[in-house]
Amino acid sequence: MQILLDKVLPVFFEPGKVINSQVWDKTITFSKGENIHIIAPSGSGKTSLIHFLYGLRNDYNGRICYDSTNIKNFDAEKFSVWRQQHISIVFQDLRLFTEQTVLQNLEIKRFLSPFHAENNITAMAKRLGIETKLNKLCKTCSYGEQQRIAIIRALQQPFDFLLLDEPFSHLDEANRRKAMELMEEESRKRNATIILADLREIEYFKSERTLHL
Amino acid sequence: MPSFKHIIPFLSAGQNKWSRWFSYVGLGVGVLLLLCSIQMFININHLLKEKSSRKDGADFISVTKTITNENMGMDNRFTEADLKEIKSQPFISDAAPLISNQFRVKASAGSIIPFSTDLFLESLDEKFLDTVPPSFSWKEGQTDVPIIFSSDFMEMYNVFAPSQDLPQLSDKTMSSVNIILECYTPVGVQNYKARIVALSDRINSVLVPNSFMQFANKNFGGVSSVNASRIYIKTIDANNPQLLNFLEAKDYRVNKDKTKFGRVKQILQAIVSGMAGFGVLVILLAMLLFSFYLQLMIAKSKDNLQLLLTLGYSPKWLSRTVAKNWIPVYISIVLAALLFTVLFQFSFQHFVMYEREELSPLPHWIVLAVAVILLLLSILTNYRLIRKLLYRLGEKM
Repeated sequence: MQILLDKVLPVFFEPGKVINSQVWDKTITFSKGENIHIIAPSGSGKTSLIHFLYGLRNDYNGRICYDSTNIKNFDAEKFSVWRQQHISIVFQDLRLFTEQTVLQNLEIKRFLSPFHAENNITAMAKRLGIETKLNKLCKTCSYGEQQRIAIIRALQQPFDFLLLDEPFSHLDEANRRKAMELMEEESRKRNATIILADLREIEYFKSERTLHL
Repeated sequence: MPSFKHIIPFLSAGQNKWSRWFSYVGLGVGVLLLLCSIQMFININHLLKEKSSRKDGADFISVTKTITNENMGMDNRFTEADLKEIKSQPFISDAAPLISNQFRVKASAGSIIPFSTDLFLESLDEKFLDTVPPSFSWKEGQTDVPIIFSSDFMEMYNVFAPSQDLPQLSDKTMSSVNIILECYTPVGVQNYKARIVALSDRINSVLVPNSFMQFANKNFGGVSSVNASRIYIKTIDANNPQLLNFLEAKDYRVNKDKTKFGRVKQILQAIVSGMAGFGVLVILLAMLLFSFYLQLMIAKSKDNLQLLLTLGYSPKWLSRTVAKNWIPVYISIVLAALLFTVLFQFSFQHFVMYEREELSPLPHWIVLAVAVILLLLSILTNYRLIRKLLYRLGEKM
């Protein structure tokens, strides 16, 4: 799978603002297997870019194509196929089912297109230190714990691209490394691409390309 | 793929129990009302079907113009145009005039039965006769005339015969009685030997062959074409409300016996149709209530459903899975209503109609078909509604 960005520019951006950007209003291709690090200060449209790539928003000019198909032509049904098999995400705002347990949050994703057996959830939770939280309601977990839940949820499915939008903002250094390690490991299993967008450079993320937004 | 049990914790399905149960009960009552009404409609049709005077699956009724004080002095016979109009009605298969004699006729039975009376004769197209023996024909020059006699007249004769010292007659001996028909012509009396060749249950008249009537009217009465006072109608159903309305509008009189069920049937069918209409209304209201429940459930679960769609759940799969959950509910409701209809029909046939054979103790197949159609309709409506609501959520993502 490939993702093509062809002169993508948010409609709410003034053209002058993106002269130095390596992404906005440029034509770039993300191919499966190479990790991409996008570094962007606040307000430069980092979350917008991740949402455009995932198909949550389409308030941009230009084209984004999955393989050769413009995703602006996709309906909800078509997106569901790509999201089940090819593209996974960790949202900056996490988007968890706060009234459900941690396990329910993870299982609802695993049921959809299982990549792992059920017991792997426990193993991953243990690796990231939230195994005791599995049966707790999500809303009772701290933001850092919720971030780890969102990371584990994103790893329950097959994918070619894993989109990460500031996934470690509320984690300490040790947990950041553990989480990154787990995600890189899972990505390798699928020969997939990680597109990581963050405010600053994450030195332990091994990326083939670094782009400034 | 996950199933509904995985999804249910993410939906606020347990809310608004009352409106959900109300809609279930409403749907059940509505379906029951509709099914019972259809069954009763069919029952009424079966029970009030005219059984006598049927030939080739049709009813035969004689029609005259109503004589009132206003039109008493006028010519109240049917014209050619009247006959044409009657024939053109879709609910009338055929019609023919009853031609009466235009000359005086007297009948006597000779010396064995000392009986003599002025008589009237009529003739009718053979297609309209219930019993037509081969001997019922006449050619010019023939001195004997075959007669078809009304069974009612025969009965009347046997009632008054003993008081007049006349012998009572059986159907068989009736045919062996020699009757002398005295036809009064402008030049004197012409006698014919008449013989009763058949008795008719249907026509209250003394019928002679058409050929004789034409000959006699022309030669004895001096008339070649005669307007009829009576018209004989062939119809699929003498109780057809359209037919009755037409006859009423034209001020035609019919034999009330033949159509007495018509009005009753009309009223009963109107009542039952009203009941069916009410049933449909109740079903619609129940479906509306249920749709409110679904809309509320989906609105309350909006965030969760939207997140499920964001995570990759397909709106098609979600709507099918959510809608499928209600299929057993709908099946149970319609089956329960159907079961009550079976009980109703059985009780009606057994306890009210005392097992009359025209009625089946089981519901008619149309009732079963309607139940199946209602079931499919409710499942489809439910599915389409959920799909619509979920796609709307998908668009808002």
